Amino acid sequence: MDEPHPPGDRSGPDRPPAFLGPPAPAAPAPPRRERSLGRWLGSPLALAPLLLLGIVVAVLAIASEGQNFGLSFWGPVWAFNPTDPAGSTYGIALFALGTAITAGAALLLASGLSLAISIALTVYLPPRTSRVLTTLTDLLAGIPSVVYGIWGFVVLAPYFASSLEPTLRNALGWLPGFGGPESAIGGGSGLLLGIFILTLMVIPLTTAVMRESLRSVPRELVEAGLALGATPWEVVRRVRLRVARRGLWGAVFLGFGRAVGESVALAMVLGNTVQFPPSLYGGSSTIASFIFTQLDSAFFYPELLRALVEFALVILILTIAFNLLGQRAVSEVRPRAVAGAGGRA
Amino acid sequence: MTAVVGAAEGPGDLQGSAARWRRRYAVDRIMRWGLPLALLVVLAPLFDMIYWIAVRALPTFTLATLTTDQVGLGGGLYAMIVGSFTLLGLATGFAAAVGIAAGMYTAEYAPPPVARWARVAGNLLAGIPAIVLGYFGYYALVLYTHWGYTTLAGGITLGVFMVPFIYRTADLAFANVPSEQREAALAMGARPGQYLTRVAWPIALPAILSGVFLAMAIGLGETAPLLYTAGWSSTPVAGLFQPTSFLTGAIWNFYDYPATEGSFQALAFQAAFLLLVLVIGLNVVVQAVAERYRRRTRGMRA
Repeated sequence: MDEPHPPGDRSGPDRPPAFLGPPAPAAPAPPRRERSLGRWLGSPLALAPLLLLGIVVAVLAIASEGQNFGLSFWGPVWAFNPTDPAGSTYGIALFALGTAITAGAALLLASGLSLAISIALTVYLPPRTSRVLTTLTDLLAGIPSVVYGIWGFVVLAPYFASSLEPTLRNALGWLPGFGGPESAIGGGSGLLLGIFILTLMVIPLTTAVMRESLRSVPRELVEAGLALGATPWEVVRRVRLRVARRGLWGAVFLGFGRAVGESVALAMVLGNTVQFPPSLYGGSSTIASFIFTQLDSAFFYPELLRALVEFALVILILTIAFNLLGQRAVSEVRPRAVAGAGGRA
Repeated sequence: MTAVVGAAEGPGDLQGSAARWRRRYAVDRIMRWGLPLALLVVLAPLFDMIYWIAVRALPTFTLATLTTDQVGLGGGLYAMIVGSFTLLGLATGFAAAVGIAAGMYTAEYAPPPVARWARVAGNLLAGIPAIVLGYFGYYALVLYTHWGYTTLAGGITLGVFMVPFIYRTADLAFANVPSEQREAALAMGARPGQYLTRVAWPIALPAILSGVFLAMAIGLGETAPLLYTAGWSSTPVAGLFQPTSFLTGAIWNFYDYPATEGSFQALAFQAAFLLLVLVIGLNVVVQAVAERYRRRTRGMRA
């Protein structure tokens, strides 16, 4: 880029052009060719993410070799026989159940906690405290999932097995899932620990999205509420939460997409059993964690590899669907909030 | 509690009885002190995790941990550190090239509908579960190419994983350059190419860098895209087409060994500790760079 500069053009790498001195004489219009070339070259480059997404999906589709999703695939029987891989049954239902329980429960807990945190951060805490705490909750998102996993397995599991789970069983044993025989409590690895870890892992994402949706509530609406004599909490409940509704749901969808895809941490704390979980203390596997633990042995069995790619496609479609829903909701936060303000005012 | 702000009740509501007034503010006070407790519920585990990993890792953590190979049941993390950074270097090179170029073109050149689709695709790419990418890498780069487990396959898979994070920040960084800067540059006769390289690029650079560091922090902590692409090796990485070990793999491979002094499990905790330090360090860098960027653009908008 060493074309001669028109006089008066003082642009440089660290000095943005500004009108210093006398105005520059009219510069020639940028050549048409360069602009259209840029546009023409730009579109495929801009589509690099779309291209990568397409490649990933295409490779997975090719890997499944077209013979997919038979009746037994959706069934609850996983009976892999190494001597007869072609005659084995590869059912996804048990793992789908594991995914549904862990992701569902984690999302339920994470949504509640995130809502409370994001209200506290945006409304109640002083700005400085809020900024520090925001950094800390964001830090939670940066911690690698294996680190959550080893902490869960080595530090938390013994505690869960020795005190938390017996206490829960005695106190809440009448609730479905919380009861069961004493022997049901194993080494602490199981659904309860998995849900706990997954909740912690999802919270930073849901909190960040909820926080931003609450922040984008127009100030006039909040001030109008306060001016009418509402307490801050009443403004939260009747103004902020209503205006930010879509963004809050978006957070839940995005969080669910994240939870469905988590593999490593769950593979470490969930016990990796293939069974109908007898209680919350029992072991389980999710679709993602099962792929993670089985991919190694799949090397030798093409049929197993194909079954696992179908698993991968299932969670891929689930995460794409939830991410699309979440994005739609989140992207409409701002315009809708403004439109709502105009409509109601 | 009945409708308080509802228009139907009108101003009469403001003159409610003293008891009612007290009740409404009591609820507000409960929320004011109660809601922040949720932060405690979340931050207590964070500190517990950092505490326990430090407790398990530090007693046996010496300089030798960083500089020796893994030998038998113990030894050090040298091979995994070298492997992690080799993989991260490859992945960052790939992801930064693709992500920054794509982000720049999305923000500056792409027609709006193309840009919209590209952004949606970028967000979806970021949402792909790591293990699905791991399967993709395993099938496309390990089995299909007949390379077997290689550092290159691991690096590319990790790179694909990191692209959307860099792409999103690069896109935002260019889109956030104040439009006065563009107008000034173009008004002075700069070509779009000149504007991009001499005006927009220096302004957007800190934000792009913070995106790259963020992606590195995320990539450094990933296990699922690497375990079945980079394989494992107890000696330092010998070449692009050789398998390699990496820090997160050390944790996954060694976490469930019995805990004795100088054992595999101690090695796993040392790797976890090192990862925590690196990830938190990178996050601090991201914050610092982002702060610098904010200061730089604030002056322009004023």
